[in-house]
Amino acid sequence: MADWDLSVTVEELGSEAPALSISVTSDLHIGGVILKLVEKTQIQRDWSDHALWWEQKQQWLLRTSWTLEKCEIHADASLVFMPQHKPLRLGLPNGATVRLRACFSGPVFRTLLGICRILNIRHPEELSLLRPLEEKKKKKERDALDEVYDLTEVPLASVSQACLYNGMPAHFADSPQTEAVYRMLSVPQPAPAPELISKQYRAASVVDKAHINSRWLDSSRSLLQQGVQENDRLWLRFKYSTFYNLEPLYDVVRLAQLYEQARWAVLLEDVDCTEEEMMLFGALQYHISKRSLSEPQTVTSNAAMDDLETALLSLEVKMDGDSNTANDMLDNMAAPELSDYLKIFRPKRLTLKGYKQYWFKFQDTGISYFKSKEESVGEPIQQIHLKGCEVAPDVNVAGQKFVIRLLIPAPEGMTEFYLRCENEEQYAHWMAACRLASTGRSLADSSFQSEIQSIRSFLAMQKTHGNSSVPAADDAINPHSLVSPRYQKKYKAKQLTQRILEAYQNVAQLSWNDALLRFLQIWQALPDFGLSYVVVRFKGSRKDEVLGIAPNRLIRIDLGVGDVVRTWRYNNMRQWNVNWDIRQVAIEFDGNVNIAFSCVTADCKIVHEFIGGYIFMSTRTKEQGDALNQELFHKLTGGHEAL
Amino acid sequence: MDDIDAMFSDLLGEMDLLTQSLGVENEPPNAITSPPEEVNLSPGFTDLNESLHELEDDDLDVLMADLMADLNATELKLAVDIENLKVPPSSSASQPPPATLPPAPQGLSSYDASILPSPVSLQGDVGTPSPSHLSPLPPPQHAKPSMEEIEAQIKADKIRMALEKLKEAKVKKLVVKVLIKDGSSKTLMVDERQNVRDVLDNLFEKTHCDCNVDWSLYETNPDLNLERGFEDHENLVEPLSGWTRDSENKLHFDEREDKYEVFKNPQNYYLWKKDKQTLKDMRDKDKELLIEENFCGTSIKVPDLEGALYLREDGKKSWKQKLFLLRASGIYYAPKGKSKTSRDLVCFVQFDNVNVYYAKDLKSKYKAPTDYCFVLKHPQIQKDSQYIKYLCCDDPWTLNLWVTGIRIAKYGAAFYDNYKTAVKKTSTGSAWANRITSSTSSSPSPAPSPSLSDKHASQANGHATKPQPGPVSQDMGMDAPPPPPPPPPPPPPSSGSFPPPPPLQTSSLPPPPPLTHSSLPPPPPLITGSFPPPPPLTHSSLPPPPPLTHSSLPPPPPMQTSSLPPRLPPQARLPPKPACRAKQPPGPLPSPLPPPPPMDSLPPPPPPPPFPDDATEAPPDFLPPPPPMTSGPASPPVRPPVVAPPPRASFRGGSRNQSLPPPPPDPEFLPPPPPPISISSGGGGGAPPPPPPPPPPPPSGSSGRKTAPPPPRRTTPVLAGRGGGGGGGDGEEGNFMSELMKAMNKKRGED
Repeated sequence: MADWDLSVTVEELGSEAPALSISVTSDLHIGGVILKLVEKTQIQRDWSDHALWWEQKQQWLLRTSWTLEKCEIHADASLVFMPQHKPLRLGLPNGATVRLRACFSGPVFRTLLGICRILNIRHPEELSLLRPLEEKKKKKERDALDEVYDLTEVPLASVSQACLYNGMPAHFADSPQTEAVYRMLSVPQPAPAPELISKQYRAASVVDKAHINSRWLDSSRSLLQQGVQENDRLWLRFKYSTFYNLEPLYDVVRLAQLYEQARWAVLLEDVDCTEEEMMLFGALQYHISKRSLSEPQTVTSNAAMDDLETALLSLEVKMDGDSNTANDMLDNMAAPELSDYLKIFRPKRLTLKGYKQYWFKFQDTGISYFKSKEESVGEPIQQIHLKGCEVAPDVNVAGQKFVIRLLIPAPEGMTEFYLRCENEEQYAHWMAACRLASTGRSLADSSFQSEIQSIRSFLAMQKTHGNSSVPAADDAINPHSLVSPRYQKKYKAKQLTQRILEAYQNVAQLSWNDALLRFLQIWQALPDFGLSYVVVRFKGSRKDEVLGIAPNRLIRIDLGVGDVVRTWRYNNMRQWNVNWDIRQVAIEFDGNVNIAFSCVTADCKIVHEFIGGYIFMSTRTKEQGDALNQELFHKLTGGHEAL
Repeated sequence: MDDIDAMFSDLLGEMDLLTQSLGVENEPPNAITSPPEEVNLSPGFTDLNESLHELEDDDLDVLMADLMADLNATELKLAVDIENLKVPPSSSASQPPPATLPPAPQGLSSYDASILPSPVSLQGDVGTPSPSHLSPLPPPQHAKPSMEEIEAQIKADKIRMALEKLKEAKVKKLVVKVLIKDGSSKTLMVDERQNVRDVLDNLFEKTHCDCNVDWSLYETNPDLNLERGFEDHENLVEPLSGWTRDSENKLHFDEREDKYEVFKNPQNYYLWKKDKQTLKDMRDKDKELLIEENFCGTSIKVPDLEGALYLREDGKKSWKQKLFLLRASGIYYAPKGKSKTSRDLVCFVQFDNVNVYYAKDLKSKYKAPTDYCFVLKHPQIQKDSQYIKYLCCDDPWTLNLWVTGIRIAKYGAAFYDNYKTAVKKTSTGSAWANRITSSTSSSPSPAPSPSLSDKHASQANGHATKPQPGPVSQDMGMDAPPPPPPPPPPPPPSSGSFPPPPPLQTSSLPPPPPLTHSSLPPPPPLITGSFPPPPPLTHSSLPPPPPLTHSSLPPPPPMQTSSLPPRLPPQARLPPKPACRAKQPPGPLPSPLPPPPPMDSLPPPPPPPPFPDDATEAPPDFLPPPPPMTSGPASPPVRPPVVAPPPRASFRGGSRNQSLPPPPPDPEFLPPPPPPISISSGGGGGAPPPPPPPPPPPPSGSSGRKTAPPPPRRTTPVLAGRGGGGGGGDGEEGNFMSELMKAMNKKRGED
């Protein structure tokens, strides 16, 4: 067989170096070509990760036993010899960029599995890679600004099943740098500056949102095939909105990143929510970032356990003494006392009376007040039971106004009281006591002190942003960082603090993990959650419409009005086909319902993958555990490549 | 010994406190706050006196039993603990005593077992199992090691006891009258820790209803024309405490189809926009899928309801139509002229502090456009007020949609969990019924025990457990034989208490049982082994729990079966039942029960054959082994009479033997003789025996009295059992303390 020259560019020799020319025959297999090539370079190194890339055809030559002839490679082919794993810059949901080695030769889905293994994210099938939005101006500037966390040094071989070392997967515990990376991955980022939020791109309409979905990479082709080069920037995002088996114990990174993605979706109004929901999201963000500062990732101790322990302790002390009557024991377990002079105001129709001062005493879950401290032994003027009541703050630090608004339920309706405190300290104590009492807990509750603390920090938040010239304290959070630009504009910081504080009542007691999960739950409960939009043209229709792809159904949305026109559920789906030639998706549902559409804003492969992906997600079961059926995923999402 | 006496008197003092606190409960202890908020302790009654008058004799007994059972449970526990505490010192003082004393009783029984035929052995076996009682025993073991350890142990025990008592003392209880569909009513005691599910179970037992998931407890407020079904996970005492003193509010027990309709036909709620026919033709598989999608994910999905509803303007008599939307976070409306996109929505109400009520007849009362209205208000608001939000729908279906949607949004996962629990309950109930109908011979005993154990596990104190066992037994009871099953479980525990001592000596308590009677145990294990499989079928969850919680439970069934064949099935059954009830709650009581087991032990051989047959026929039958016996006697008419005898017998026994409790059982059951001996010896030896005596007498006494009423049968026995502890032979609760003292003194004297 005749020898002919094959020219191969070897990346290791530098981009300037001329292509090497080796003499081959058509029946030489790829492995043989590589061997010849390596000998010719005369470089001693580990070539095991290298493979041949055929530039003209945009494909990898990974089957080393195939001959050149079988690969249809002739003398005009220009091949590149390069490593399959190259550094990639990955934008994470939390906004940080991490640099790691990713596989450029396998299908993106497999690349993704590798990435998630390094990052320690379970259920990688829920994520995918997409191209970032182009940032038109100052691209270089931004690059310089972005802190890049480097994980390229992590030996891929060492990434094994998560065995924890120092509370983190072993491959992160190698060096302080990687430990820092893990911390970045597993702890939610501090609240972003309000300007950062307002500067970010926000999808203003459904069509804008649809455009984002055109950026997803094809999961059945390799990175290089899709034009992604070494050191390029891609985003890693949760793509399918079905989060399987979230387990705080194992999903530290997954939860943190999911929370970040959800937070940004809310802040950028990617998913619509009401004002009340926004305030609740704000309160939860506040709570989560507070808790991440104070007790990162530690499971908060069980309050009930604390109670028992203190009770046991006090009992034991008593036992050591001689007299252990029940009375003594009961006394011993009594709650701490809280009493002071406060002013009360009871708004009534036709009364213009202002605040009156009394001696107030907190007992169990109620407040009683007396004319004066001296008379506090006798019958109180009134007792107010706080269990089940609503507690709202009415605070203006600058104006030195510290009022607790109490809405007490009674058979005739709600009774309103205003308690006015003299100063911050007093307010923090009484407010904390009222909050606990409203949920039926007394001052003896272990959370009393932490409650006081959180109220103080809320006051601090108001103080620092009363005048923005004062530099914020370390742990102060700008309330504008917690809401979307719409509400940044709508409310001043003071008003916003008030609103968030109100919402905060209901979540203040949550542990870090619970707060995170609550955030995700509320996010998932939003009506528009989990909808991925694509602009399509239905067969027989003359105008563009929007197809919403949800975890369990497809919806057809009228672009003009924004109303849902039709809903089709996957479980009624008989089959779906893609005509790759005319780029049309055809779906058949039970009852002879057939729909067909072509995709306007995204490739039909993307729509196909979404549908197939969601069907794949629904096949996951508890029994199969964490095992991932890659083949099935490929079958459902691969399209013609899968055949 | 002085120390011990001092301790004992201290404890008694504390118990006095406890009793006082219980007594006081009838008068709102918390007279705090404004008058309106005062707690009415007898919801459903205008005043307490009336409520007391309304109580039928039965009910009174029940209430007393309820009240006293708690006390008894704690007191008995205390007594046992005290005895245990005593033991260590004595052992330390005189080395031999510890070993000898405890063993003595046991030794006797065990000896008998070995000597006697297999039946006896069974008894011994029964005794040993009681795991719950093991805890007290440990002290003796430790006695040898060192004084410090003993002291530490004592201290730990005391702390634990004290904590338990403190908890118990704080529990608030209400006497409530529940109206039933047929116009009758039931009065029962509800304590703070019970949720609606517990109370429903209790009512199932009292009313012999079919236990389906639709049974619901709901309140009506005639002042406001409101009605609301309590959710199963809610605590009943809390909302009832919000009723005013002169409240006309009523508590009803009835079937409400809408209670769990959303889980039966989720498509009607989640796909409400689709046309009726497709919804009707929905496949079961698709329904399941809907449930899974909306209730089994990481977040609960609320049906996306939206529609025009009429809102009653504050204080005015006009109703205004608005476009309302339901979201997980609350109800919103779209202001006029604005879109219904999220950002434009105005929050109408959030669910944190309000409940949703059906409102009746608002058309006439407030000129509502239709009669299909619902109301959102804070549960404590009882009179018309600006804080009540009235909404009106076009048709009943929309009303149902909204009320259900709001419940989903408010209760989330708990709502679905409630349903799952309710379904489990139903299947248990129906399983029993099936079993009974299919094969009379089959005995429910296995099933009850699992359920009991289950409850035990989940519920801290006897309180909760009692009601629950009740329901199960009730279901069965309605059909006929069921009652017997419950009793068996209890006996084992009781008997277990005695035996424990020997095991202790050997080393680890649990192991001892098998060791002591190697020959005897085999039969029970086999039986149990066969039984377990069936239970799983009916209730997958149930089977495992029993062993875990009370190792004793599984054994009992076998015993019963064995006992039944011999003769007197009815009698045997009846006594055990009360006994078991009484004993179950208080772990320590066991002593009375033991006697029954012995009787059972004799017959054992016969039962085994039946079991296999049953097993082959049907798994459920398995459990029933006891039932065969019961079924025989089960015939409803027969039972009542049967019941009567046992009590009397017990009484006699009581008279004979100074210690009331132990004797009765013994005389009744022929085999018992050995057990009684063991008991008495045990009493002499130490703590365990004394406690048991008190319980037995009460049951007998109460049961004796009640013999007549056949329908109440079930309830009465139950009551008797419970009352047993507190009531004492006389049924005078007040004397209970003195009775206990007497018994204790006697015991001591014997020592």
